[in-house]
Amino acid sequence: MSGKSSNGVSRRKFIVGAGASGAIAIAGCTKNPAASGSEGSGDDDALSGSISISGSSTVFPLAQAMQEKFVEEHENVSIDIKSTGSGGGFANHFCPGTTEFNNASRPIKKEEISACKKNNVVPVELKVATDALTVVVNKNNDFVDCMTVDQLKQIWQGGNDKVTKWSDVNSEWPDEKIILYGPTEASGTLDYFHEAIVGEDNEHRMDHQASETDRNIIGGVEESKYALGYLGFAYYSEAKNKVKALGVDNGNGCVKPSLETAKSGKYKPLSRPLFTYPKQSALSEDHVAEFAKFWIENATSKEIVANSVGYVPLDEAEKKEQMNTLETAIEKANGN
Amino acid sequence: MATDTGGYESTKQFSRVSRTTGTIFKYALLAATLFGIVALGVLLLYVANDAIQPLTADPGWYLVFFTTFVLPTVAVAWYLNRTDERSLSTGVTALGVPLVGTIFAAGISTVFIDVVYPLMWFAYFAAFAVPVVFAVGLSRSDFDIPFLGWLGIIILTFAASFALVPYGILRLLYVPTNGMSMALTFGSVAALAARSYVGKRWDGKRTGDIAAGIVLLVTMLSPFVGAIVGIGAVPAPILTTIALVPVGLYVASTMAHRPEYVIGLALPVIVVVGVLLGAFLVDVFSFAGPHSWLDWAFVTGDSSGEAANAGLYPAIVGSVLLMFVVALVSFPVGIGAAVYLEEYAPDNKLTRIITINVSNLAGVPSVVYGLLAAGVFVTYLGPGIPVLPPAIANPFGLSPIYVAGNLFGSGTIIVGGLALSLLILPIIIISSQEAVRGVPDDMRQASYGMGATKWQTVKNVVLPRAFPGILTGTILGLGRAVGETAPLIMIGAAAIAPVPRTFESVVAAMPMQIYVWAGDFATDEFFNRVVPAGVIVLLIAMLAMNSVAIALRNRFQREG
Repeated sequence: MSGKSSNGVSRRKFIVGAGASGAIAIAGCTKNPAASGSEGSGDDDALSGSISISGSSTVFPLAQAMQEKFVEEHENVSIDIKSTGSGGGFANHFCPGTTEFNNASRPIKKEEISACKKNNVVPVELKVATDALTVVVNKNNDFVDCMTVDQLKQIWQGGNDKVTKWSDVNSEWPDEKIILYGPTEASGTLDYFHEAIVGEDNEHRMDHQASETDRNIIGGVEESKYALGYLGFAYYSEAKNKVKALGVDNGNGCVKPSLETAKSGKYKPLSRPLFTYPKQSALSEDHVAEFAKFWIENATSKEIVANSVGYVPLDEAEKKEQMNTLETAIEKANGN
Repeated sequence: MATDTGGYESTKQFSRVSRTTGTIFKYALLAATLFGIVALGVLLLYVANDAIQPLTADPGWYLVFFTTFVLPTVAVAWYLNRTDERSLSTGVTALGVPLVGTIFAAGISTVFIDVVYPLMWFAYFAAFAVPVVFAVGLSRSDFDIPFLGWLGIIILTFAASFALVPYGILRLLYVPTNGMSMALTFGSVAALAARSYVGKRWDGKRTGDIAAGIVLLVTMLSPFVGAIVGIGAVPAPILTTIALVPVGLYVASTMAHRPEYVIGLALPVIVVVGVLLGAFLVDVFSFAGPHSWLDWAFVTGDSSGEAANAGLYPAIVGSVLLMFVVALVSFPVGIGAAVYLEEYAPDNKLTRIITINVSNLAGVPSVVYGLLAAGVFVTYLGPGIPVLPPAIANPFGLSPIYVAGNLFGSGTIIVGGLALSLLILPIIIISSQEAVRGVPDDMRQASYGMGATKWQTVKNVVLPRAFPGILTGTILGLGRAVGETAPLIMIGAAAIAPVPRTFESVVAAMPMQIYVWAGDFATDEFFNRVVPAGVIVLLIAMLAMNSVAIALRNRFQREG
């Protein structure tokens, strides 16, 4: 019997111990902020519903920053964001009607508007920031700091007489193959670069290492001394110590990409507007309209747009203009 | 010609057989075995180092835990292993059951904290339980009812129960609190399980009833304890029934039936006491632990664009919901197909073609299943299930009717779960087929010999015997599904998704979240800290599932 009782003690000890370790292990669940939000619904915050956003990976970090701030204030609104590229978002998600917003790093194309129209989706164009598209080379690249628009065009233009070596562009540059990194065809970044540098009449070459993931572009350029790539400024600003940004000469001397040069309009032709396109009919729902307003309202915020994401915020005049566009669209949505 | 490299010629000369070839072959095989394991081990160490950053801890912290936890544990384990290996395995089981149970309990708790309202759950549980109790009572009574009549009565009671009971419960003046709802539902199931477990092992109905009573009582008390201790009233009954009750039963059964291995139970005691003592001492001496990225803020936080605030919680809830859908769809379909193919299907060309195709389907890349799901579910069923499709409705001047439209939207949990179900269905069918095939034919013949019908043989002989094997295969299949990313990308899962509240919500899942963190977020902190931390959580979830499968298989082999 004595043996049994000692077993009993150890068992009790063990159960207490196991319970305590379980308590430590699971205690985190009770601190989950989402839990309290779901139960106290509708007291002081009437907004609720869900919003889906698709589109440009360039605008993605900005959209996410806005989503985070918005959800802090309206915890019953749930917002999900897909990063699909501007064109991919329009074609596969926004125009078929599965998302309420589509972000784009270039203006919507005519074909896309008519594709949307088939499904009764009317896009409303809102400019949300300005980006400085950045051309990057390897840190150890000591032969080039600046390129003219024409040189960039020679490198990136498709066709028969393709430039393959650095020396093909400038005879002072080394006789080494240029290794090119850039976005994929679904990307608005590529569309914009195509239009601004290569020109719409010419083809953008497609034999570069293409990735929708900007990290891969940075990584690729970091790896090889003779690499060249381009991407949005936000991702470059996170990786300034890994790659070197080239200045661009548009005929008025060399201009390095930065928030200042993009804002003042000196960094040409690669500074570009970024957009989000809400679906007009969705704006009749309060939570969608409020989120769109919130975004435009905060598009001038230096803290969110410039510091945490890395784009140029709107100025007051631009904000007013976008707000007017939005409010007209909301009225139309409610009127119909 | 003499040769010393072995082979055919050397066998002619007995004195000169060389073992060199054989030795080289043996070590080549060893290298092949180790290659994958070592490579994976190095990778995991690398990832764990990034996620946990062990070098940032105070040396004192390590010293404390080494003396209170590592040293005693190793010493006890070594001693147990020396005296009797089975005591050690008893100890490891008693340690592993609550650990794995806690992980599962945490996963299930997320569902009841964020998705299913406990009272609603209680209402539907009651609606399900009432007709089940009625059916059991009916089958034990002496009424002689033909099968079809019996079926009709059961269907009617189910329908009536689901129409009336939830409605009644949700409008009662007195309703159980959230914690009580959980305790009543989980407690009653656990009590029944304990009753049958104890009843089998202790001979005697009374012991079983007492055990059931204790389990129910402990579970009913747990919400109050949980609320005081800080676990929370809702998770406490779940933790009690999934982690504590099984280990309690295991310990009790060890003490009663295998007293020679009771000493093995010292292992979990030493581990728990060591950890608690270590934590206490570290706190007293204020030694800082490692600045681990993998902490509770990470596991319970929402997703964020800033690495420091990024959390995995929505993805964890999403993965749990996905697994629920996958289990619900793939288990019945997969096991049903396997049992049909093995037990009922005639051995003809068609059956063989089906079997071969199932094997081939198991090898189809997961992207393809994602595309299939995107094509069938999102594109075709996106507007809803066509009850009256336009092709039929329009000629008659009627308007088409669709139901359940929201369920099949782009990237919903349902669509994600169906895609993953399709992916693992062939695996489940094949492993279940093998389990069914593993049942010796003698047992079937014996059953027929006693006059049993085919249905009775399958129900009473084949399925119980094959069940552990089936379960092993299906859990391994689930483990595969929980780690899949490609199908989720194809169906339009989001990069950032809020905690999913319903099955219509846009899917969030652990592997998807890790993929997005690695790609769409540029900073080094995301790639070198957040991603490894996410990988560790995903691996823990997977290992927990696989350990259940392995435990089941071991049990199965011992009994078989």
